[in-house]
Amino acid sequence: MKKMLGMSLMILVSALFAATAFADTIKIGVQAPTTGQYANEGQGIDNATRLFAEQYNAKGGLLGKKLEVFTCDDEGQAMKAAICAKELVNKGVIMVIGSYTSTAALAAQKTYYRAGVLQTTDGTSDDLVKNSYWTFFRNYNPNSAAAVFTADYMVKQAKFKRIAIISDYSSYAQGLAAAVTKETEAIKGNIVYSGKIKAGSQNFTPVLTKMKSLNPDVIYFAGYYADGGLLRAQQKQLGIDAEFIGGDANDNVDFVKLAGAAATDAKIINVPTPDMLPYDLAKTFLADYKAKYGKDIPSIWALLNADGLLAFLTAIEKTGSTDTKKLSKWLHNNELNGISGKLKWDERGERVGAAFMVYNIKADGSYGVAFPK
Amino acid sequence: MDIFLQQVVNGLTIGSIYALVALGYTMVYGVMKLINFAHGDMVALSAYIGLVLYTQLAGLGFIPQPLTVVLVFLITALVIAIFGVLLERIAYRPLRTAPRLSAVVSALGASMMIQNGIMLVWGPNILIFPADILPAISWNVAGVTITFIQAAMIIITILLMISLTLFINYTKMGTAIRASAINQDAAKLMGINVNLVIMIIFVIGSILGAVGGLFIGMYYRGITFNLGWVYGLNAFIAAILGGIGNIPGSMIGGYLLGLFTALIAGYVSSAWAEAFTFILLILILIVRPTGILGERVAEKV
Repeated sequence: MKKMLGMSLMILVSALFAATAFADTIKIGVQAPTTGQYANEGQGIDNATRLFAEQYNAKGGLLGKKLEVFTCDDEGQAMKAAICAKELVNKGVIMVIGSYTSTAALAAQKTYYRAGVLQTTDGTSDDLVKNSYWTFFRNYNPNSAAAVFTADYMVKQAKFKRIAIISDYSSYAQGLAAAVTKETEAIKGNIVYSGKIKAGSQNFTPVLTKMKSLNPDVIYFAGYYADGGLLRAQQKQLGIDAEFIGGDANDNVDFVKLAGAAATDAKIINVPTPDMLPYDLAKTFLADYKAKYGKDIPSIWALLNADGLLAFLTAIEKTGSTDTKKLSKWLHNNELNGISGKLKWDERGERVGAAFMVYNIKADGSYGVAFPK
Repeated sequence: MDIFLQQVVNGLTIGSIYALVALGYTMVYGVMKLINFAHGDMVALSAYIGLVLYTQLAGLGFIPQPLTVVLVFLITALVIAIFGVLLERIAYRPLRTAPRLSAVVSALGASMMIQNGIMLVWGPNILIFPADILPAISWNVAGVTITFIQAAMIIITILLMISLTLFINYTKMGTAIRASAINQDAAKLMGINVNLVIMIIFVIGSILGAVGGLFIGMYYRGITFNLGWVYGLNAFIAAILGGIGNIPGSMIGGYLLGLFTALIAGYVSSAWAEAFTFILLILILIVRPTGILGERVAEKV
């Protein structure tokens, strides 16, 4: 009995020591799909986080404390995400980067809120900001931001007078087309045609021929690249001399291949790819990433998550505190320069300002920036 | 008016593909009373084989472009014809005396096998035909734009149909095919090799389907492993529209369906074009189950 007591005492003491030893670090959680179909993205998020930690630690850490990263693989699934959230909270992290998917971010959100752990994600679902949790910071724009940006570009920037809007029957494309229509009408844009095509049906000439008689000066397509490329090719073939603007799902190399020569001067609206970001911070970050891992960051999404982390770390630096309440307050009231541009959040944890760009496809199939100049 | 004419040209282009593919359904049905569901997937397969051949032949570098295109058509047609004969041997001949439902299930199985086979070999992603296979010429006649490939598709299809009609009506084999369509047992008693007739049917159907598949690839450029369903279904409707089992019927059915969808999409609603196609199918089945030409011609095929 005595022996047992002694042993448990020893364990308790060593546990206490361990706890105090760990308290000297700032713990960062990564909740990302590092395996499975989104493994590429998940690993990008993990790599970016570890890169930041390493860089800060090389400079002596933050507030005299080293940064320590814990990664939990949520496989992009809600169930795993809930387990990850508990695991990371138990490890004592004060901030979590992730996840990549809205589903996984949503499933873990409440656990982090209850534990007072800051969370940043690129998830686009509107449900993520529904509860206005003070712990939540979305580092990407919601679906509706694309529509606002697109409408503004078509009506106010490029000054199109006769707008045609086409979508397919997918919930994504219909949602985007409906949002663009709403935002365009809100700023008094003139929509002369709106129609739908069946994805994969390949023959879009009936719709295009009808549209030809309405003489649009721009065709906005909200669907996917496989149809977008053909639509553009058939538009040119029918001699319809209108601009073509594709939504973000047209941003694929196959769009150019399908449209062939007709791809030239087609425009695509999307968030920029990492290498197109004009900021110095971005250039340094991408170079550092490549130097450490020998490859490019997989996508803009991993980069946006890294941006969320940067904001959290900056908040610790500025407030001189690791109290998440204070950090959250600072983040809601200040603006800072991130890798992907200005970082600013409203009270719901929604990132303010859109990171979108209009790309112009050049004759050789590469992208140029058409807007903002 | 030019908009209307443009829709007509568009309708004729897609109608050519429907007509070519529909002939494959109708000829097999005429002789075997079997709906060859795998035919659409043979069309998809021909597009893939055509793409591989084109890339290989063009890669050689010394064959002139027009000859390459002709070679692609000939070799693809040959390969698909062999596949068609194999399909009949493996999936249909063992079931010739079995209940008709067994053969239909076998046809569906063959369809899935070919479709998944294509996916496993070439992957589930979209493959793209090069843009420069055919010259990018287009003519503008009275406000109607017609491209080189559209014109080629319509003309080649019509030529193929004329040849097929002549073959069926004026050759010995054509007569044998017509005889087998009316009554296989009687044809056998008359000394007709029905097995050979069925093989010829599959060869012709597959060749026409292969031409259709290559047209799809060259005109629309993007091909996916499941494109056989889309075109197969529409061609099947075209065959029923014209009267399944009836060769001129499928030709007319194909062009009518092409025009119908183009005009519905152009003047009623593009969103509802597909629905109207099926409403048309239901109406035909109720009002005239034998199809447009089903009654006038006594013999099938």
